[in-house]
Amino acid sequence: MKRRDFVTGSVALGGALVLPGGPARAAPANPLAPTNPAEFKRAMGEFVGTARLLESGLRMELPVLADNPGAVPVHVWVTLPISDSHYCKELIVLAELNPSPLACRFSFSPAAGTAEAAVRLRLSQSQTIHALARMSDGKVLVARQAITVAASGCGM
Amino acid sequence: MAKPPRIWVSNAKPARGEIVRVRAQIEHQMESGLRSDEAGRLRPRNIVRKFEARLGQNLLFTWEPGISIAQNPYIEFTFAARESGELVMVWSDEKDPPLEARKTITLS
Repeated sequence: MKRRDFVTGSVALGGALVLPGGPARAAPANPLAPTNPAEFKRAMGEFVGTARLLESGLRMELPVLADNPGAVPVHVWVTLPISDSHYCKELIVLAELNPSPLACRFSFSPAAGTAEAAVRLRLSQSQTIHALARMSDGKVLVARQAITVAASGCGM
Repeated sequence: MAKPPRIWVSNAKPARGEIVRVRAQIEHQMESGLRSDEAGRLRPRNIVRKFEARLGQNLLFTWEPGISIAQNPYIEFTFAARESGELVMVWSDEKDPPLEARKTITLS
């Protein structure tokens, strides 16, 4: 066998081995990680209502890669100045592709004087985390970040 | 919910208006209701449904976790110290009596 034949042959074989897995993996239905897109839409719609989303004023920090998907640290805070007459009423964190997308809800009172919280999520798969905050003047702030999850954390 | 909550406060004697940071964690299974036992039956859901933080008489905020919150729920929050008083934190789950933690905050 000539070296050239061997090389082209192994490339073809390698391609044949790799290709069938590609499109199959892209299929969204994963029985181990059920999603609930209807509930995500409902929770998002209920919180936002008819308000226009503002991309500034709310910050969210979370890792790009969740090395422990059973406890992913998420830190959200409102950067706008907070006073007794202008404060954050409500803040929610949504995990778009989790079985239960609404991760948690915070309801602040003006007595807090701030709107900041950090919690730990468990994530079933790679997805986008959304944070939404409703201010007392009706403005709705949003922050989003995609996160890569290596293994499921929802079985924990 | 046997063990007492673990609490950390950045400053128990803050100046008036100072931002105080609090970290709190309890031990809790946060059973999601999606897991099954050895016989294949679903384990009943039991998660912390509500967390409340008060300073004296004033409610600072409430936190309503869902099943996407990690077990042994950790919460970190901040508040502006406007008065002296007792910082009271209460965790309520779906089975056991609520768990409480207290920390005295004194304005300096």
